[in-house]
Amino acid sequence: MGHGVLELDHLTRRFGDKVAVAHASLKIQDGEMVGIIGRSGAGKSTLLRLINRLIEPSEGRILADGRDVTALTGSDLRAWRARTAMIFQQFNLVSRLDVLTNVLTGRLNRMSGPRVLLKLFTQEERALAIRALDRLGLADVALNRADALSGGQQQRVAIARALMQEPRILLADEPIASLDPLNARIVMDALADINRRDGITVLTNLHTLDTARTYCRRIIGMSAGRVVFDGAPEDLTEAAVRALYGEHGAEGIDERITSTSLSGAAMPALAR
Amino acid sequence: MSDHVLFARGPAPGTIRLDAITPADIAATRARLPAAFGAPPRTRALRWGIGLLLLGYLLYLHWLFDFERVFTNLPRVWVIVRLMLDWSQFATWDHAELFRSMIETVAMAYLGTMLAALVAVPLGFLGARNVIPSRIFRFVMRRIFDGCRGLDQLIWALVFVRAVGLGPIAGVLAIFVADVGVLAKLFAEAIETAERKQIEGVQATGAGRVAALRYGILPQVLPVMISQTLYQIESNSREATILGLVGAGGIGLRLSERIQINAWDQVAYIIVLILITVALIDNVSKALRIRLIRGG
Repeated sequence: MGHGVLELDHLTRRFGDKVAVAHASLKIQDGEMVGIIGRSGAGKSTLLRLINRLIEPSEGRILADGRDVTALTGSDLRAWRARTAMIFQQFNLVSRLDVLTNVLTGRLNRMSGPRVLLKLFTQEERALAIRALDRLGLADVALNRADALSGGQQQRVAIARALMQEPRILLADEPIASLDPLNARIVMDALADINRRDGITVLTNLHTLDTARTYCRRIIGMSAGRVVFDGAPEDLTEAAVRALYGEHGAEGIDERITSTSLSGAAMPALAR
Repeated sequence: MSDHVLFARGPAPGTIRLDAITPADIAATRARLPAAFGAPPRTRALRWGIGLLLLGYLLYLHWLFDFERVFTNLPRVWVIVRLMLDWSQFATWDHAELFRSMIETVAMAYLGTMLAALVAVPLGFLGARNVIPSRIFRFVMRRIFDGCRGLDQLIWALVFVRAVGLGPIAGVLAIFVADVGVLAKLFAEAIETAERKQIEGVQATGAGRVAALRYGILPQVLPVMISQTLYQIESNSREATILGLVGAGGIGLRLSERIQINAWDQVAYIIVLILITVALIDNVSKALRIRLIRGG
């Protein structure tokens, strides 16, 4: 693979007469870590769901290594979903199943029907699941029920489940929006680690600018369904931010107010 | 709580790839977390054993039935079916009486269920754990529901026919008593699943207990209550046909009369009437349910 790309070609999605994503065209290289920012309703979630094909595009194409994946159906579509793992703001774990089984669901796409129905996971799969949990510091709670865990732990279980899919791309939809600052940092560190060490492309929606600046070398800004910014964190000037979020009074957005970062630099008002 | 350093510490656990798992990895993981590899063989064998035993018992039970009789009596069934299909006397049947009885049956079901629902709402609240913390009180309420529910409508109908005489009033009362038990129990269970956050939000404004029930719980459970009540109306209009058989009024009485005199053509006609009515009620209640629940 080496030089694979994910390419969005005028990707558009309408809900009724409302346009959620409008002619989004992007190229994402293998191994990038990309943060997507924008106001709520700007189309960030829809964009990720389009890539995972949870939502069908109204227009445009998605290309992976030049192959059109917009038209995939049946088992090809499910295989594509397995390779573009997704994690959600509300974690979307199955609350009545234990952590281990939740993580093992990451293998369902590659398992045969009878094995799926009878929950017959192989020893290799079980060992791999424990390894994935180990990596996120959660092997000790493998047999607890998913809803017995804290939010931060649940999100890490969701990441372990995603890793079990052996994905090429990890799509994270507001992964830290429901978490406290410490857990937010643990989860973002885990995503960065996966990106760096495993070379998995990470695309993540974020609602705080400083998180995007800290973790992503490339930032994409969306407004009213359109991609209006695409560049490095340094290029995200105050003017660019104002264009993204609109005029909020004269001073625009103070990142110190929206920040959930733990580092002192972003919160001088509190530090002093 | 320094989980975030885990990613940097120690020997790198490696990437998550199934083909990188060796037998040694499995052995090591198994030694550390045996429970992650499923129940031990003995427990598993026991589960399979119990499952097979139950299956065998079920098969054995079927053996006891006298299947032969079904086949030896088949010709008689055919005679009845043929009689049912002959509708040449259609014009002579007492349609007015049949229609009146059909409407009576539906009215019985509707009236009985609606009255039951009205009574069941306050009872449901009184039987819910998150409303009444007292365990004893709740126990008493729940047993009262069980008492109403435990006897079938048919038995209640027999009782009320003796008490208030033949006719639809006995049917309405039978449906009412039985359904108070059913609906109060269902409502209480729905109320218990109401989300606490919303109740807390209302309580935090300084609202009183009744206000918290009215604004915190009722909006959450009202759609469930409505849909359960509508379902009971549907179900009771089917059941009410049977109440007629014991003298509690409605189409059931006409049906039993005609079965006794072997008027199979009219029996078939009444069955068709019942099917059409039930289908109509089902559709109306489905449409209502969708509408009411959407509107909140």
